[in-house]
Amino acid sequence: MLGELLNPYQLQIASFVLINIILAISVYVTLSSGQLSLGSAGFMGIGAYTSALVTIHFEFPIIVGVLVGAVVAGILGILIGIPALRLSGVYLAIATLGLGEVIRVIFVNWESLTNGAVGISNIPQIGREIVFTTRDLGFNATSLGLQNNQFASLSVFLILFVLNIFIIWFIVRQKNSRVGRAFSAIQLDEKAAESMGINVTYYKVLSFAQGAVLAGLAGALFAHVMGYISPSDFAYHRAVEILIFTVFGGSEVIVGSVFGAAFLTLMPEVLRFISEYRYIIYGVLLVILMAVRPQGIIDANILKRLKRSKGGDVHGS
Amino acid sequence: MVLKINHISKNFGGISALTDVSFSINEGEIYGLIGPNGAGKTTMFNLITNIFSPSSGEIIFKEDNITGIKPHKITEKGICRTYQNIRLFSQMSALENVMVGGHCRSESGVMRSVFRTRYQRSEEKTLKENAEELLEIVGLIKYKDVLAENLAYGQQRRLEIARALASDPSLLLLDEPAAGMNENETDSLFDLIKQVQARGITVLIIEHDMPLVMKLCDRITVLNFGEKLAEGTPLEIQNNEAVIEAYLGKEEEDDIA
Amino acid sequence: MLLEQLVNGITLGSIYAIVALGFTLVFGVLGIINMAHGEIFMVGAYVGVMTTGVLGWPLWLGFIAAILVTAFLGYLLESLTLRPLRGKKGVSHLAPLISTIGVSIFLENMTHHLFGAGNKPFRTPFAQLSIEIGSVTIYVVQIIIFVISILLMMGLSIWLSKTKAGKALRATAENLETASILGVDTKRTIIMTVVIASAMGGIAGVLVGMAFNSVSPQMGLAIGLKGLAIIILGGMGNVKGAMVGGLILGLAETFLVAYGDSGYRDAIAFIMIIIILLLKPQGIFGSKAAQEGR
Ligand SMILES: Nc1ncnc2c1ncn2[C@@H]1O[C@H](COP(=O)(O)OP(=O)(O)O)[C@@H](O)[C@H]1O
Ligand SMILES: [Mg+2]
Repeated sequence: MLGELLNPYQLQIASFVLINIILAISVYVTLSSGQLSLGSAGFMGIGAYTSALVTIHFEFPIIVGVLVGAVVAGILGILIGIPALRLSGVYLAIATLGLGEVIRVIFVNWESLTNGAVGISNIPQIGREIVFTTRDLGFNATSLGLQNNQFASLSVFLILFVLNIFIIWFIVRQKNSRVGRAFSAIQLDEKAAESMGINVTYYKVLSFAQGAVLAGLAGALFAHVMGYISPSDFAYHRAVEILIFTVFGGSEVIVGSVFGAAFLTLMPEVLRFISEYRYIIYGVLLVILMAVRPQGIIDANILKRLKRSKGGDVHGS
Repeated sequence: MVLKINHISKNFGGISALTDVSFSINEGEIYGLIGPNGAGKTTMFNLITNIFSPSSGEIIFKEDNITGIKPHKITEKGICRTYQNIRLFSQMSALENVMVGGHCRSESGVMRSVFRTRYQRSEEKTLKENAEELLEIVGLIKYKDVLAENLAYGQQRRLEIARALASDPSLLLLDEPAAGMNENETDSLFDLIKQVQARGITVLIIEHDMPLVMKLCDRITVLNFGEKLAEGTPLEIQNNEAVIEAYLGKEEEDDIA
Repeated sequence: MLLEQLVNGITLGSIYAIVALGFTLVFGVLGIINMAHGEIFMVGAYVGVMTTGVLGWPLWLGFIAAILVTAFLGYLLESLTLRPLRGKKGVSHLAPLISTIGVSIFLENMTHHLFGAGNKPFRTPFAQLSIEIGSVTIYVVQIIIFVISILLMMGLSIWLSKTKAGKALRATAENLETASILGVDTKRTIIMTVVIASAMGGIAGVLVGMAFNSVSPQMGLAIGLKGLAIIILGGMGNVKGAMVGGLILGLAETFLVAYGDSGYRDAIAFIMIIIILLLKPQGIFGSKAAQEGR
């Protein structure tokens, strides 16, 4: 009966939602210290290629590959984050966009390593590995009433779900602390923050690197969920898509990123019946949203109101 | 001696905002910096906090040469300021603003913050209690959860002072704290600054409200077109010919008399 | 060979320069990066193809059509997407960026929908006409592109420095509030800026169609990214910088393809700006404005 409820296709869409949420949060974290980065797609690509290559060539276990991918992206984030300190606003946006393009062009041209524009296939997939490992341990998915591919998709989904919860928990805790206050102070007035004794360099690089780690992590997961990657997965369109998740949902609060990534990933699926027009609609939607709610769908006020009305229900009587 | 300004000059492109200015401030003093608009007073603050580096000269804080040290390090050493054009963190509550002020007196990093270690919790508690105490002192405790941008003008000025005090400075720089305040507010500002002095904090204040300056300050330096015109006690300044001519005589003489 | 590459580089560079001028005008006046500029350029190229290639209009009429269509697009862009954001509370610099990205997505997919995905050949009657000077072959098309670009840049410079409207535009770019106090109709100036910038994009579109004999819905993106790189190279909002930056990029790309590794052609623009941003963040011709600590 469980088997009838679980549709691997839908589970895969759900997994993409979760990966996209991590990407959206990577932009959110960087923005929370006032830095608009369009480099997420580039860092995502670094994470994806690193993890794919080390798992294929050195036969690292997937989990190690994913960690290595995230760390390498993070190191690159620090290396880029330091010179990027000299830039702000749209300059930073364009420079990071450029960085993403340079990374993509390197993926295309470094054929001996990356297999060029064709990309890398045969990347070990998380779902399959889990099925094999559990089978070796003597567990059989059918005992749960599941087919192997259902079991695979379900475990991928659950792993990503737990990871999402952890990341959100981490970022929320960080936000409500001395570190989070330093980030917002820098976002609101960098000079004043500096005068209040905040080491602006340190915190800006920290938040930039955190964004890079998250994007790299998401990229590595993407590689091991899809099984194949190519440079075009990490091009301009991906960078813009990720930024839009965050801004559409609302960049002031983390809920905005979660909502934006979920809504915009699911929308094309729902709009499948008019798939020819869906990107045209998408474009118009962005224009209308910015005119009506430039801060994004969800902002601090909405959250406060929601909380209050819930609180009202509890204490009301 | 808390602060020693040693032959400081500052040029912006062609124009010189400050020319060879020197003065020094004793521990526990309230020291006034006055002069007409554009005289270079705010620039002096920007040099002390190293938002700009001086073109020449040096700044000594408690025996340390702090010229060219990063602004946040200067705050750590114990100098903190307010701004002529209020620069609060507009989207943060009053309490959060003051807690940010305590940043350099606390140390919890990412890991402690995320895992809420005992150290972090007690530090956070202390930060919050200190901030509330300071809000109490500046009379804003009622508004602690109000966003800074929603406070009235005079309240914002006091909040900026509380935020600066949270960094536990030994020298507080106030840039026109009474600007835009009515008489009542100015009176309570006077009390507040006296209270700050009573805590053992040295104060350097830029202010246009002459009665306040004369009542408050132990000593005063007058700047005019970037040059030091005079230095002395309020009484000496009021009777200084050059000062009266250049500055006081024009507009405020009646007020002072 | 060297000379031929030089001609190719200058041709390409002058097109880049015109695209970059469109970006720089809008940024100078509005402080906004118009992410739809590349797509407006693409529409201009399509109008050129459709009118001359399919309808058989003469080239000059194709230019006029492209100018009219893109100028009108510019007008719509300003009034529907930029104006609603102006002067509104709580609008960050993100909003116009996203809004114009929305327009670019719309235009790209609309074109895709109407004309299909592939490349459309662009036949100009004299595409193959060329002259030989010694061993150097120069195509007439290249000469036309070069002449039109030069005329356009000179026209723009003169217009900006000599005419009343041009001065109003510069005043607005300097400081919108001051300009409006001084009696400049800033609303009209802004509309005019966006319309002119878009029309220049349209002209560049037709020129590119001529130079490469083809158009596609994605062509806006590639050139848009390069335009962005150029205005950083030359200093944001700087007219002279856009022209010189465009030429530098055109030459650099051409010579890289001729003598180096063509695979990295699309990365040069960004490698250059990353270096520039690190060495001189305000661009080659930019000047640094200090206004801190007030
Ligand atoms: N960042 C800056 N760039 C250029 N000139 C400046 C800057 N800051 C101040 N100035 C100039 O220095 C002079 C002194 O300014 P300021 O210190 O603000 O005067 P005050 O605070 O005494 O009114 C003025 O002429 C002002 O225009
Ligand atoms: Mg001043």
